[in-house]
Amino acid sequence: MNRLVGARVARINDPRLLTGRGTYVDDISLPGMLHAVMVRASIAHGRVTRFDAAEALADEDVHAVITPEQAMARTRDLPLVWLAPEQRHTHVPVATDEVRYVGQPLGVVVADTRASAEDALDVIDVGYDELDAVVDAEAALADDAPLLYPGWGTNVVASYDIGDTGEEIEPVFAGAAHVVERRLQVQRLAVNPIEPRGLVAQWDAGTESLTVWISTQVSHHIRDHLAIVLGLRADQVRVIARDVGGGFGSKEHLYADEALACLAAMTTGRPVKWIEDRGEHFGATFHARDVVHRARLALDENGRFLAIHSDIVGNCGAHASNVGTGPFRISSIMLPGPYRFERAGTRIRGVVTTTTPTGAMRGFGMQEASWVRERLVDEAARELGADPVELRLRNMLGPEDLPYETRTYQRYDSGDYPEALRRVGAEIDKRSRPSEGRIRRGVGVATHVEFTGLGPSKMQQLVGFHLGGFETGVVRVEPDGSVVVSSGVVGMGQGIETTLAQLAAEQLHVPMSAVTVRLGDTATAPYSASGSIASRSMVVGGGAVVRAGGRLRERLVRIAAHRLEADPGDIEVEEGVFSVKGVPGSSLTLAELAGHAWLGWNLPPGERADLEEKDVHDPENVSYSYASHAAAVAVDLDTGQVRVEDYWVVHDAGTVVNPMIADGQVVGGVAHGIGIALHEEMRYDPAGQPITTSYLDYVMPTAEDIPDMDVSHLCTPAPHIPGGMKGLGEGGTILSPVTVGNAVAAAVPEIAEKLVETPLSPSRMWTLIHEAGLHDEAGPHDDPTSKE
Amino acid sequence: MKAETREVTISVNGQRMTRRTEVRTLLSDFLRHDLGLTGTHVGCEHGVCGACTVLVDGVPMRSCLALAVQADGRAVETVEGLAPEGELSEMQQAMRDEHGLQCGFCTPGILMSMLAAERAGVSCAEACGDVLGGHVCRCTGYQGIRAAVRRRWATLPAARGEETPA
Repeated sequence: MNRLVGARVARINDPRLLTGRGTYVDDISLPGMLHAVMVRASIAHGRVTRFDAAEALADEDVHAVITPEQAMARTRDLPLVWLAPEQRHTHVPVATDEVRYVGQPLGVVVADTRASAEDALDVIDVGYDELDAVVDAEAALADDAPLLYPGWGTNVVASYDIGDTGEEIEPVFAGAAHVVERRLQVQRLAVNPIEPRGLVAQWDAGTESLTVWISTQVSHHIRDHLAIVLGLRADQVRVIARDVGGGFGSKEHLYADEALACLAAMTTGRPVKWIEDRGEHFGATFHARDVVHRARLALDENGRFLAIHSDIVGNCGAHASNVGTGPFRISSIMLPGPYRFERAGTRIRGVVTTTTPTGAMRGFGMQEASWVRERLVDEAARELGADPVELRLRNMLGPEDLPYETRTYQRYDSGDYPEALRRVGAEIDKRSRPSEGRIRRGVGVATHVEFTGLGPSKMQQLVGFHLGGFETGVVRVEPDGSVVVSSGVVGMGQGIETTLAQLAAEQLHVPMSAVTVRLGDTATAPYSASGSIASRSMVVGGGAVVRAGGRLRERLVRIAAHRLEADPGDIEVEEGVFSVKGVPGSSLTLAELAGHAWLGWNLPPGERADLEEKDVHDPENVSYSYASHAAAVAVDLDTGQVRVEDYWVVHDAGTVVNPMIADGQVVGGVAHGIGIALHEEMRYDPAGQPITTSYLDYVMPTAEDIPDMDVSHLCTPAPHIPGGMKGLGEGGTILSPVTVGNAVAAAVPEIAEKLVETPLSPSRMWTLIHEAGLHDEAGPHDDPTSKE
Repeated sequence: MKAETREVTISVNGQRMTRRTEVRTLLSDFLRHDLGLTGTHVGCEHGVCGACTVLVDGVPMRSCLALAVQADGRAVETVEGLAPEGELSEMQQAMRDEHGLQCGFCTPGILMSMLAAERAGVSCAEACGDVLGGHVCRCTGYQGIRAAVRRRWATLPAARGEETPA
C-alpha cells in the first residue's frame, strides 16, 4: 500500500475552513443566549472602594451585573499548575478587590446584546484607592519598590538555582582564558492568535450541569479547573473545543474571566456568550517573555566551551500565572543547547509587578535561552576572530555522544546536531549578496536543541508540574467499517486531525477517507491533562494512536484469519481488504469483518466483540528536536530598518508524518520569531498603563516582513516514541529571533556588542547606528523620533 | 437603553435579505449575527487584521469598519458565496493544495481580497505583495498563501501573471 506516514496528505478539515463553514466559538448561538462583557480594572495597582452598578441595572436590556464582592463569594481559588520550590503563590483568586494590573477582571455585565452590555459598562462607577505601580522586574527588586503583596516583604514570588551553582561553576569562570558576558533581554510580548479567546456557557438547572464551548488548547484542564473554582464536580462540567483560531500558548489554561462568564450563565440561568475583543486581549490574556539574563560564557584558550551561566530576572506580572516561573526554568534547563559544557547553570528570580501576568507562548523559555546562548557564542566568535559556524562545530555534541546527559538534567535522545549546522552552513556559503552603499548585508546562524513532547508524568511530578504527561488514543472500527479516532489533544490549526488520521489509517491499512478524528469534547475524548501544549500532541497523542491502531490491526488480522480459515501470518491487508496470501478470491472487507465482529459472530476463541483499542502513552523521556537556522538580512543604515532577505532551516523532528504540515509549522514559527526579532513589543507607561493595545501600536509581522524560506528535515526517529515523532510546532519561533540578531551583527559588526535586546526595531537600530557613529553626517537624516 | 433601529436590505451572495437592526450595528456583526453568515471573522475590530474583509459592490471592505446601514441597498459578497456547497473555488483549492491556511481564522478575508484582486486583473506580484500585505496571519508565515496565489494566478489569462503597468 501507499505509505501514509511521510506523505503530503491534504488536510481533512480544510474544506470547511475554506468555505466559511467552520465552527469557531463566536459562531455558536444558542436560543435565549445573553452576552457578557467584563468589567476590568482601569488602574494598575490599588483597591476597589466603590462598585456602583445601579444605573446599569436600571437598563431593561441588562440582566445581571456580577460585582467583585459577589464574584469573590461565589468562586474558589484557581490552583496554579507549575509550582517552583517554595513559590509564594500556589492558588490565585478568580475575583478580588485588590487590583494589580490594568485589565484585571473585576466583575461581569450580562445583557441582551454585546452592545448593550458595553453601554452598561460605561455607567458602572468603579472607585479605587490607588497605589504606586511598578512595571519593570528589576525595579521591583529595589528596596523602595512598591510591594504587590506586602506580607511577603519582597516582590520575589520564587527564587531558585538550576544546574551548577556557586563553587561548582565560579572557579571555571575565574580560570577561563576568555569570558563573554552580556546583559541580554527578551521583551514582553502579547500572544495574539487572530481568533481572540471566548466561550459560550450553558447551565442546565435540571441536570445541574454546565456545558462550555470554548476556544482552548486544553479541554480537560479547563473542565477540571472550572469545576474547582465553581464548586462543581468534574462530571457536572462538559467542555467542548470546536474549531480553534490559533492558540500559541495563550489558550492553555482557565482564565479568571472565563470562570466569571460561566458564573454569569449559572447566575442568570441563560446561555451566556463572552468574546474577548482585541483591545482586551492586550491586557486580559497573559503575556509572555519579559526577562533579563546576566549571562556568561567561558572558553579556554582553544575556543573550547567550559561553562555557561545566567542570572535570570523574570517578570511574572501581577501574580504567578498557571506556569509561574516555568518559562525561566525551561530557559535554564535548555541553556546549554547542543554543546558540551563542563558546567552549566542559572539563578532564577521570578518577580511580581503591576502588569498582566506572563505565561506560555510558542517557544516557551527556549526562545529566550537561544537568544542568550547563541548571542554569547556569536560574540565569542567575533571577539576571538573565529568563524561562527566553525566555533559551534568545535563544541557541538556529535551523534556518537548521544544519548547525552546535560548539566541541567536533560537526557538528549538522538540525532546529528553537527549535520544540521553543516547543511545550513553549506547553503549560506552558496550565497553572497554584497552590501550596497548604505545598505549593509550579513548572514547569521544559530542552532539549538528543543524540549518537546511533554512529558513523562514522573518528570512532571519531579518539577512540580501538576498535570499528567500522558495521552490516550482510542481507535475504533465501527460496524460499517468506518474508523473513529479519539484523542484528548486539541486541533488549533496545527493539523493534528489530519496527522492522527494518517497514523491510524497507516496502522489499520485503510484509506484516509475511512477515518474520522474526534477531538476537543470532554464528554467523548479520553482524558488529557496537558492537552495541546509544549509540542506534544503528535509525539504523545500520536504515539498512543500508533499503538492503539497497531493492536486493533492485529486483532482484525486474527479475526480475518479465523474467518478465512488461514494462519494470521498469511493475512495481507490492503486498503481495508483482508486477504489470504496467494489465495485469490479469499478476502473480506473491513466492513464485512466489523459487521460480524460487533454482532459477536464468527470470532476466534477468546476474542472480544468490540473493535476498539485504547492506549495510554506516558513516554519515558522528553523528545529532543533540534535545528540550525540561517538568515540573510539587509540593514538600512539611514532608517535602521532590518529586512530578512533569505532564510534557511534544517530541522529534525524525528518521523515527519506530513511534510506539508511540518513545513507549515516551521515556516509559521519562524515568521512568529521574525516578529519577535524586529517588531513586536508589549509596552507599558510608568503608571502601569499598557500603551500597545491595538495592531497599530503592536506591530504584527505581515507578508512583506517574511521571505519565502528554504526548509529541510533530517528525520532521526525518537527512539522511545511509538512512531518516532518529535515535536515541531515551536522550533521555528525558538531560533529565528537570535538567527536574525546574529545576521544583523554580521551586517553591522560595529554594533554587534550592543545587540542584546529585541525587537531590533527601526528606532532601536537607528539609535545603535547613531551611537556607533555610522550615521551619514552629510545626509539630511534627522532623528525620526524627534521630528517636529 | 434602546438604540435606534432601521431596516437594512442587502443582497448577500446574490440573495436579497432584509433585517431590522440597530443603526450602530457593524456590517461584520450584521452578517455574522443577524444573517447567520459566520464565515466572515472578526479578529481585531479596528480594521488592521483583515479577517473580516468582504466585498461591497465588488470592492473589498473591512466589514468591522462599516455599519450595516451603509451597506443598505448594496451587494455584499462573503466567503460563503465563493463556491457552490460541497465544492471549492480554484483559489480555495489552491489554498488547500499549498497549505495556505492553518487555523483558518484569517482565511476568509484573504480569499475575499484575492477574489477582488483577481477580478481587477492585478499582477501576481501585487497580489502577493500589497494585497496579501493587508492581512495578518499568525499561523502560516505567508509562504503557503503566496504559493497558493502563484498557483491560482498561473491559471489566469497570461497578462495577469505579468507585472501590471502602473
